[in-house]
Amino acid sequence: MASNRDVRDMLGLPVGEVAPPLASKKSKKGGQTKRIQGVAREVAALYGERPPPVAVYEEKKAYRAKRQSTGPAKKWIRQPFTNPARADGLVLKHWRRKPTAAPPLQDGDDAAMQDSEPTDTLENCADYVKYNITVDMPDFTDEEYDAHLRSDDWSREETDYLFGIVKDYSYRWAVVWDRYEWQALKRRERELAQATKQENGEDEANALATMPFAPPRDKERSLEEMKARFYDISAKLMKLRIPEVQMDADQYGLYETLSKFDPVMERNRKMLATALMNRNMDEVKEEEFLLTELQRINMAAVRLDAERDELRARLDAPQANTSTAAGLQSFTSSTALQALFQQLFQQDRSKKRSSGGSNAPGRLSLSANDMINTPSASNSANRRTSMALPAAAPSQTPIKTLSPHQEHRFNVSTHDRLTSGVTFGSDKLLKMRQAKSNVQTQKIASALQELGVPEIIPIPTSKVADVFEQLVAKVGRLLDVRKVKEKEMGECRVLARMKAARDGTAPATSGGVKQEGESSTDADRKEGGGDNDTPMGDSNEDQDDDAEGEDDTGAQNTPANADRDNDDDDDDDDAEGEDDTGAQNSPTGDVDAEGEDESAAQTSRATSLGHGHKRSASELSEGSAPSEKRARK
Amino acid sequence: MNIPNSSTAPAAGEYAGDEVSAIVLDPGYSTTRAGFAGEDVPKSVCPSFYGQSDNDSYLFGENAIHSPVGNLNIKNYWGADGIVEDWDAATKLWEYSITSRLTGAKAGDPTKNGLNDPPANGESMDVEMEGVENNEKPMEDSPLLMTEPGWNSAKAREKYIEMAMEDWGVPAFFLQKTGVLAAFASGKASGIIIDVGASHTSVTPVLDGMVLRKGVQKSPLAGNFVSQQIRQTFKTATPEIPLTPHYLVKSKTQVDAGAPANAIYKTFPVEPSASFRANEEERVLTEFKESVVEVWPGPGRFNNGTNEEIAKNAPGRPFEMPDGWNNIFGSERFRVAEGLFDASAALTSEANARPKDEWTIPRLVQAAVSHVDADQRPLLLANIVVTGGSTLLHKFNDRLNFEINAIYPSTRNKLIAPGSVVERKYAAWIGGSILASLGSFHQLWISKKEYEEHGASIVEKRCR
Repeated sequence: MASNRDVRDMLGLPVGEVAPPLASKKSKKGGQTKRIQGVAREVAALYGERPPPVAVYEEKKAYRAKRQSTGPAKKWIRQPFTNPARADGLVLKHWRRKPTAAPPLQDGDDAAMQDSEPTDTLENCADYVKYNITVDMPDFTDEEYDAHLRSDDWSREETDYLFGIVKDYSYRWAVVWDRYEWQALKRRERELAQATKQENGEDEANALATMPFAPPRDKERSLEEMKARFYDISAKLMKLRIPEVQMDADQYGLYETLSKFDPVMERNRKMLATALMNRNMDEVKEEEFLLTELQRINMAAVRLDAERDELRARLDAPQANTSTAAGLQSFTSSTALQALFQQLFQQDRSKKRSSGGSNAPGRLSLSANDMINTPSASNSANRRTSMALPAAAPSQTPIKTLSPHQEHRFNVSTHDRLTSGVTFGSDKLLKMRQAKSNVQTQKIASALQELGVPEIIPIPTSKVADVFEQLVAKVGRLLDVRKVKEKEMGECRVLARMKAARDGTAPATSGGVKQEGESSTDADRKEGGGDNDTPMGDSNEDQDDDAEGEDDTGAQNTPANADRDNDDDDDDDDAEGEDDTGAQNSPTGDVDAEGEDESAAQTSRATSLGHGHKRSASELSEGSAPSEKRARK
Repeated sequence: MNIPNSSTAPAAGEYAGDEVSAIVLDPGYSTTRAGFAGEDVPKSVCPSFYGQSDNDSYLFGENAIHSPVGNLNIKNYWGADGIVEDWDAATKLWEYSITSRLTGAKAGDPTKNGLNDPPANGESMDVEMEGVENNEKPMEDSPLLMTEPGWNSAKAREKYIEMAMEDWGVPAFFLQKTGVLAAFASGKASGIIIDVGASHTSVTPVLDGMVLRKGVQKSPLAGNFVSQQIRQTFKTATPEIPLTPHYLVKSKTQVDAGAPANAIYKTFPVEPSASFRANEEERVLTEFKESVVEVWPGPGRFNNGTNEEIAKNAPGRPFEMPDGWNNIFGSERFRVAEGLFDASAALTSEANARPKDEWTIPRLVQAAVSHVDADQRPLLLANIVVTGGSTLLHKFNDRLNFEINAIYPSTRNKLIAPGSVVERKYAAWIGGSILASLGSFHQLWISKKEYEEHGASIVEKRCR
């Protein structure tokens, strides 16, 4: 038989180092054999090396545990016990499982003897001692009392009584106050003393003579008085024990609260609390009503703010480029990718066109030529084409560069990207008229009608379409502005009326304001009507209107124009400074002015501002209408 | 894994319970409840009325007091002020309520336990008894928890402990107020307990398991008052409604509603006493209260505006007397209970004066709350525990809720009224059962040793 050593010798391994591999083997084995209880081996294998984060137990029996029928019924005994929390050693009995005798292999007689034995032992049941708690109380010696704690109002006896009762009721002040019977106690004592005196035969006069000497102050103590006395003593004692400078934060906080207790304030607070509780139904209902009203107003304010923010954002925002905004997400489908390819293709081509047909393929060249002209095939293809075509001509169709004038004349346009198929220009125009909501669409339609733009524009060239698009965008903005303006007007009117009502001069001024507002709007309307008439005639007539000098500069200028016009109207307006300096485009400037207007609710200003809006609106429409006309021309 | 069943021991500290087979005794005007702590209903419920015949021996229990024997006077040990008056009878009756059902075997020889003593004891008998005295004490094994009304006098409290320690020989004793226990039964340590019993209505503010003594209110407008109102309604009705208790009727035949009864009555060689008849009539009235009487649920009082008209148009409720007389009761059934809430609506006669306004339940609550520190009032009003048999009157809670909300509209008032009849009637007993079975209660018992050291006055110091 070859021993381990022989084998090692044969294999040429060093002798002696036997232990380490053995140990590792052992530990490995141990790791493998450690199984998780109650889990199938296959499932346990899924856990890997680490045990699962949550202990898994197999619920062997989902129903009631089976009655354990092993052996006879377990015996219960009434075990006498004492509670260590009691000083008197009261023995009570509770039911306990009878402790099983350790060796069960004794014969019958022994077992019987042991049965009777454990009942005699007295159990010390300390399970509930933890509930036997007493409160911490400040304590003082007689010297301390004499030196620091004397009070004119409180005798030493009563102070002791107070401390006793506070301890008894564990600082439950409401109960302390309820059970505080010092006066009754004193009275009883006095009566008792009186009775004994009379029994002893002391004369009445003597008894009376002692009375005024020490008249016990009989009065009902209020809860605040008791608290004040107790806290006062506690604070003083605390200061005596720990000087103020040595207190840590908690202790000092406690000291502060103790020493700063103000019984008068506390009493007043309680009176207020009582008054609050004793309100009648009407008052409570009123409060409820006011609270709901407040909530409503708050919610409305939030909504209004949100609306305004949205409007501002819309007026500020640049033209959204949907394709870039959507980012890569828009290229998920194959059709979208196809479209992207088309787009890049077009771009590439146009770039090439503009660069004058430099044939060098770019880094991302998608031109059809490049794709076909793979390096291997290019030579032969070129050869073939060169044979077929005059040598001078390039491989692609020649690009004729046109001057802008010519482009305009021949109505040639270049596009970055063209959608497939044929569309009518009028369709494009029709689409612009559509707004998101039906009402808005109708409003736009009526505005356009007012401007005299026919429903079907006869020659919808691309230029016309561009101008029309601008026009529609402006109409949309104007409608938004009008909405805001109406809202502001309404608010102003309400505020004015409220102010008037508060001043007491109600009817006269408010009526006046209202009239003013109406008259101004009337004027606007009239003006608008006049403006509406003019576009039907010659566009030059527009210049006759007020502040229309720069009108012919075209649609691009109109916002600024309107802005300036607004300035002219509202000279007295302090918010205009901003408009002048900051706001280049009128819509934001206008809205900003409104925002400030909110805070200062002055009716006159509001109306004038409203007027301004109207004016600017009419100006805008005027400004855009002629330009559109010009374009049509 | 370890689903407890009847053979497994409850986990230690599972409900902080550690039962020492204490007995809970909850005496009331109508019934006296007794049972072992830790159980959910009192095992022994016996009437607080007892019979006393001419030869001065007491008769206890349902069977004894309802048998129409001549010369049997039905009495009650409670005084008019809601404090035990007849201590001798009370002690015997309480002992009976415990020993008859709970500790029966320990009661000792009936010839010697004092219940059946012949009127004149021979001296030799006394000597004999001294030897067996220790065995006679009926409750040596069980600590006793007793309940008392919130307004109990100090003297009466001392009497309780004396009786328990001296007469019954209990190893430990404790006294707790019904209000606190009723709150415990609803799982509350603080609250206002409105207890409408048979003889008294009480309102007890409780804070952290302690009665606020200044706030305890009581009034005699309770179940018996409603009975008296019903009697008066019967008397003033035209024609007068006869109130015949069961024991008088031998057989009855059906009659139309409102028609006079057609029944054969019993005759007795010795006519039962008037008090017996009154007690039997009370049973009929209890049935009437249970099945007919309704509290006007609000809004508004019954007298206000058109409420009476509405009540009149509501469908009535039929009731049949033991002798066959029957009728439908309309708006009267609201009126008899209205006095609990509105003193001006109570029916009066020369014998029964108009109740005081401050006796009505809403006024009691108001008075109780006003005697509590202002900071605690909202807490108490959020825990209004309703208990007592008379609160089982139909729609009682609706009305109470309405009245309290009318007084305190600005606080969150919540009525806590156990749904089950047993819990409502025996709330104080159930609370006592919970309290006495707690392990942490062991240290509160007044032991016999302590009693012997300090005397009866210890009850004032310990049970507060």
